[in-house]
Amino acid sequence: MDVNVKLKPSLSIEAFYLFFIITSIQLGVGMMGAPRYIFLEAKQDSWISIILAIIFSLIVLFVMLYILKQYENADILGIQVDIFGKWIGKLLGLAYIAYFAGALLSVVLTYIEVVKIFIFPEVSSLLMGVVLTILIIYTVLGGLRVIVGVCFLFFLLTHWLLLLLIEPATAINFDHFSPPLQASVTELLSGAKASSYTFMGIEILFLIYPFIVNKEKTKLPITIAALWTGAIILLTTVITIGFFSPEQLLRREWSVLALFKIQTFTFIERFDYIVVAEWMMVSLPNMVLLMWALTYSMKRMYKVPQKVTLYTASIFLLIGCATIEKHYHIQKVITIVSDNGFWLIFVYPILLLPFVLIKKKWKKARKV
Amino acid sequence: MRKGHKRNSSNIFPIKIDQLEKLMISKFENNDDLSFTVFHHQNKNIAVFYIPYQVTPDKVDNLLLKQLLENKTSWNTESILNKMPLSSGKKSDRMENILEDLIKGCVFVYVEDEDEIVSYSMQTIEKRDLSKAETETVVIGPQVAFTESLTTNLNIMRWRIHSTDLVLEKIMVGKRFSREVRLIYVKSIANETDVNTMRQRLQDLEVDELEDINVLIQYIEDSSMTIFPQFYATELPDRTSYAISQGRIGVLMENSPTAIIAPSTFFSFFESTEDLYMRWNTGSFLRILRFIAMFISLTLTPFYVAAVTYHFEIIPTQLLVSLGQSRASVPFPPIFEAIFLELMIELLREAGARLPTKVGQTIGIVGGVVVGTAAVQAGITSNILIIFVTISALASFTVPSYLMGTTIRLLRFPMILLAGMLGLIGMMFGLCFLLIHLLRVTTLGRPYLSPIYPFRMQDINKVLFRLPQAFQGKRFASFMPKDLIRFGKYASKKKDIDE
Repeated sequence: MDVNVKLKPSLSIEAFYLFFIITSIQLGVGMMGAPRYIFLEAKQDSWISIILAIIFSLIVLFVMLYILKQYENADILGIQVDIFGKWIGKLLGLAYIAYFAGALLSVVLTYIEVVKIFIFPEVSSLLMGVVLTILIIYTVLGGLRVIVGVCFLFFLLTHWLLLLLIEPATAINFDHFSPPLQASVTELLSGAKASSYTFMGIEILFLIYPFIVNKEKTKLPITIAALWTGAIILLTTVITIGFFSPEQLLRREWSVLALFKIQTFTFIERFDYIVVAEWMMVSLPNMVLLMWALTYSMKRMYKVPQKVTLYTASIFLLIGCATIEKHYHIQKVITIVSDNGFWLIFVYPILLLPFVLIKKKWKKARKV
Repeated sequence: MRKGHKRNSSNIFPIKIDQLEKLMISKFENNDDLSFTVFHHQNKNIAVFYIPYQVTPDKVDNLLLKQLLENKTSWNTESILNKMPLSSGKKSDRMENILEDLIKGCVFVYVEDEDEIVSYSMQTIEKRDLSKAETETVVIGPQVAFTESLTTNLNIMRWRIHSTDLVLEKIMVGKRFSREVRLIYVKSIANETDVNTMRQRLQDLEVDELEDINVLIQYIEDSSMTIFPQFYATELPDRTSYAISQGRIGVLMENSPTAIIAPSTFFSFFESTEDLYMRWNTGSFLRILRFIAMFISLTLTPFYVAAVTYHFEIIPTQLLVSLGQSRASVPFPPIFEAIFLELMIELLREAGARLPTKVGQTIGIVGGVVVGTAAVQAGITSNILIIFVTISALASFTVPSYLMGTTIRLLRFPMILLAGMLGLIGMMFGLCFLLIHLLRVTTLGRPYLSPIYPFRMQDINKVLFRLPQAFQGKRFASFMPKDLIRFGKYASKKKDIDE
């Protein structure tokens, strides 16, 4: 397996789209329930936790970028093999594959559950799974350019939802944030960790980097992307905590969606129906990118054709949808993914950095 | 055909006149059309032959025969070519060339025992006059439309674009009945890759005949599996010349009153040249209106079906009451009701298109008003749905391209079915699928959704809305023309108040 990726120029994308790729994979189903989980840990100081999380994810992003820049045109799978050798490198690659598969499953399951709770209590999970899988397969078959197009287009088509938060934002009670600075450092940190499921997705940079044409311009889009995601999560959390009293918030699983409920127009009551349907557009880029990452990693590491992985993974995904239906089980999948993902995405790159630097020095020394 | 016969096409000249006559008649076995006359002039036998209805008889008599017989010279091939006051003279000696030209409307003159035969093109083509555009009507701007005659169309194109840079490349397409196709572009502007792709597609085409340019489109478009048209077919010369001057490529074909414009993105089907002729703000308003209309046309009826079938909570209470009253007597589920009405509108449209104009209007009134009212009174449909269906039908007709309008109307049916099955989720599935599909379609190898994706900031003001002409100094960057700049920016000084 080559460390560096060789690509046809027709497959490459501009650095500018990294912004949309990273925000699309970060803003998905996670943010619907995030405020409650953060609030559970950090209470009225949740906003500090989120700011910590933003700073931390920025640091991780720059560490990732730094690692990638040590190589000519490599992705994480190649780098791991280069550093740890074939066997350990591939084993670590397998960890990424497992994470992509798990994250994909958790996202699909969560969206299906939300649809069941808000719109169709009696719809079969399998049918919903089929609907989503058709869209995923159709997009991934189009290749990376279509996937990036989906991220870009759906980003533009979903961000109007933010306007619907104006009305709940006017009804914020600032008393819910006082007294400030009560949480201890551990509470703040565990609040930040609770938000990790939402902030996940930056690992896509590790895979997509070789596809970027103008690599020197990657810094700006990824910084803005991390800030944008952070700002939106901060905004929704602040509004949610300000809008609901602590008791109400603890009772509401999908607190962000509940915010949209109070929005009414003269021609549409109950806007949350539209929002939940529209959320398909929010979470689809998420699923598509994870599926692409899964198929692409399989091809990179084991030379399995992407189509084979795509269809096999879809079948497993459907089986997962049909069997995992209970709220408890879904929560368990999410917890497993977010706990393991936390280490893989936010901690592992920082651990990897010294190895990369040592390897680089060693190579230089050998050359001299 | 040409290759196989080349060996038999030996030179038959020189030949005796009566032999030539026999030969020609034998070649036209079943036709009595050939007019073969022999004149005796200055001791020489001269044969003149042609197909009467393919040539202009006046011209033959006045310009050719009069000169031929009144002149005292002793004719041979060279002297005919030199002295006859006609410009289209041509020598030839191959049998099949003669036959081909004869069919096209040439008059042949042969002086006995000469080595070559002289032909004059005096063809007459029956054609209609220029008329107003019928399918793409415009309120302001040039009204003239293309006709079936290629020469007329080329003539129109030439007088619309006065430039030596304008290339009208001739390509013959079709094996058995070959047709003349013209590839039109401005050499200094059009993207070379696009021109080459188009030329390649036309040259590689191996079909025996092409009925019309709309058939040609289906042969050369990028994907035949998509429902969206990938090339704009227009009958408006001003639209074509505008596109060509922007660096795009036009294609005209013999016997077709339509031009192809390529590449055509999704958004170009919503542009009308009228937007250019209007002031920028009204033009922008109309264009945005069309996009909204398309969205309404696609989602209004499905939304009704979804809301009434599954999510009546989203309908405001007051509306729900009146909706309930109007639907109270309807015995069918909403999806059936909606599909029934949509089909009825399609029936009316199709009948209106097939029937003569005068009858068509009557049918429209009968169908629309009488059947609509009766359907509500009979309790088959609710009158609110009638309003929705009519609005969405009207909205679909705002699209300047008839092909795109039809596509959108057709897409409504799967949307209604999806809404009937899964409510809003089904609708959202339909919309997502459609968008992903649009992302995958290409036109002449370029992305269909450009300039939205791949994103080209400088093209947005030409596509989604229009800025004033002073801001239109650049051509479409999405099509990558050779020369991007149309004109430099106006030097505008910022003025303070009272200066």
